[in-house]
Amino acid sequence: MVSLAAERISVVRTDRRLLDSVSFATGESGSIAIIGPNGAGKSTLLKVLAGLETPTEGTVTLAGEPLAGMPAARRSDAIGYVPQHFNPHWDIRVRDLMRISLERARLENNIQATLQLTLARHGLEAFRDRWWSTLSGGERSRVLLAMVVATDPPVLLADEPSASLDPRCRLDLIARIADHGRTGVCVVVMHDIDLAFRFFDRIVMMNGGRIVADGSADSLFEPSLLDDMFGVRFARSRQEDLRFISAGWPLRSDGKSP
Amino acid sequence: MRYWLTLLAFVLAAIGIGACAGHTWVTPAAVLRAILGGASIESALLFEWRLPRVIAAALVGALLGLGGAVFQGVFRNPLAEPYLLGSAGGAALGATIALLVPLAVSQAFSLPVLAFAGAWGATLLVIGVSRAAGALDVPTLLLSGVAVSAVLGALRSFLMLALSDETVSLQVVLSWVLGGMQTPTWIGVGGLAIVTAVALAACLALASGLDKLGLGETMATAFGMDVGRFVALAVLVGSATVAASVTVGGLVGFVGLAAPHIARWRLGPLHRSVIPASAAIGAGLVALADAIARSALPPAEIPLGLVTAVAGGPFFLFLLARSRKKW
Repeated sequence: MVSLAAERISVVRTDRRLLDSVSFATGESGSIAIIGPNGAGKSTLLKVLAGLETPTEGTVTLAGEPLAGMPAARRSDAIGYVPQHFNPHWDIRVRDLMRISLERARLENNIQATLQLTLARHGLEAFRDRWWSTLSGGERSRVLLAMVVATDPPVLLADEPSASLDPRCRLDLIARIADHGRTGVCVVVMHDIDLAFRFFDRIVMMNGGRIVADGSADSLFEPSLLDDMFGVRFARSRQEDLRFISAGWPLRSDGKSP
Repeated sequence: MRYWLTLLAFVLAAIGIGACAGHTWVTPAAVLRAILGGASIESALLFEWRLPRVIAAALVGALLGLGGAVFQGVFRNPLAEPYLLGSAGGAALGATIALLVPLAVSQAFSLPVLAFAGAWGATLLVIGVSRAAGALDVPTLLLSGVAVSAVLGALRSFLMLALSDETVSLQVVLSWVLGGMQTPTWIGVGGLAIVTAVALAACLALASGLDKLGLGETMATAFGMDVGRFVALAVLVGSATVAASVTVGGLVGFVGLAAPHIARWRLGPLHRSVIPASAAIGAGLVALADAIARSALPPAEIPLGLVTAVAGGPFFLFLLARSRKKW
C-alpha cells in the first residue's frame, strides 16, 4: 500500500497559472473523486500526481519518496494512469495491447497465463483477438482500464474515464475503478457528479486552480458549495445508503433559481 | 509460423532468382553447382562475382528494412522512411566529397567511410538542432530533418558545380546517388553480414520501447518510458543502420518505406515481429531489384535506386488499394 502526496504544487504555463499552491494527500487506500468546472486544473493536478507533468513549484512524493528523481520504471510500477484520450497509432489486437502492458511487469515466462487471467478478470476473453478499430467506445474504455490495471499498480489515477459513454457503460466503468479504492488508492477526475457521490468515499472540489473543498462524500453532499461552484441548482436525495444528485436549473446571477 | 516460413521461402527464392539473373541468365542447377564448388569457369564466375553481389544486395535490403521499421515506429508516421532525418543528404554529401575532392586516401576507403560519416553525422546534427530548438519530440525532429536535408543538398549541388570539370564527370556522383551494388569479396560479404546481425540485434532491443511509443507519448511515459531519451537512441540506431546500407548500396529508396508496411499488414504492429519481418522483406525486395537491374537492359545496368522506385512504387500502390487500414 502506497500513498501519493502533493505539496504546494503550482503549475504555470505561458503566463497562465493552472494550479496555485495545491496540497493534497491520498492516504494508503480509498477512492477519491476530483470534481470541478472545466478549467479548474483537475487534469493538470492528476498529471502532476502521475509524474507526467513537472510542476513549476512544489513536490510530489510517492510513499514518502520524491517522484522527481524516481526511476521511471519504479514510478510506473506503482502508479497506473488512465488517460482521457487514448488511441493506439497502429491498429492492434486486444491481446497485443495487453501484452505490451504486461511486458512492463517483466514476467517473461508467464505472460500468456497472466494475459488470459487479466482478460478473464475484466470479462474480456471474447475480445482477445478483436482489433481496436472494431471496438465500440464502451469496449475500448474497458480494454484501456484492463491494460492499466493488468500489472496491479497500488495507485490508480484516471482522467475522465467515462467521457462519451452510455449510462450503462459509465456506471460499470466507474464502479470498477472505484472498487480499486478498497485495496489500493484510486483518484478519478470526473464530470459525473452523480457517480462521484455514489461510489467515492472522498470528494475533492477544485476551482480556479485551487482546492475549494476536500472531505467525505457525506459531509459535502448537502452543502450548497456544489451549487455555487457550478452555478447550477442540484437536486439531492437519499435512498438507503445511496446518494443521488443531479443538476437541475442554472442559477441566476442573484443566486436564485429561475 | 506459416508466415515466417513463407517469408524465408520468399527471401531464398529472391536470392535464387538473383543468382540466376544477369545479362547472361543461368539455370538454378548451375547456381547449385557453383555453390557446391564446381570447377567450371561458369561456376567460378558465379561464385566469385554474382553470388557475393546477390547476397550483399539482400543484406543491404535487410538493413533498409530494419531502418525503415525503426523510423516508422519512432515517428508513427506511415510515410516515415530511413532518409527522413538527413541520412540521405548526409551520405550523398559524404560520397560527393569522396568522389570529387582529391583526398590523400584511396576512394575504395574514403567512399564508404565518408558516406557512413555523412549519414550518421547528419542525423546527429538533426538531433542537436532539435535539442537547441527545445524539444526532442517528433514534429521538431521532422522539421529539423527537412531543414538539414535542404542545406546538405544545397552544399552537395554547390560542390558538384564547383568541382566538376572535363576530367571529373558528374556521372560518377549521380550513379552513386541513384544507388547500385559494387561487387564485394566474400570477406566483404562476411563483414556486411556481421554488421547486419548487429543491426538486427540492436533494432530488436528497441522493439518493446517502440511498441509503447505506438500507444502515444502520454501512455508510453505512464508505462515508464523516458520518451526523449528513447527517441534519440532509436533515431541513432536507425540512422546507423541506414548509413551502413547507404555505404554499400548507395541511395536505394522505397524499400525502407514499403517493407515495414508489408510486414505490419500481415503480422500486426508488435515490433518484435515487424522488425525481423521487415528485414526479410527488404532483403528479398532488394535482391529481386538487383536482379532486374542487372538483367533488364543487358549489357547495361540500371541503377538500383531507379528500379526500386519504378517497380516498387506502383506495386505499393496496389497493396495500399487492397489492404484495409491495418498498417
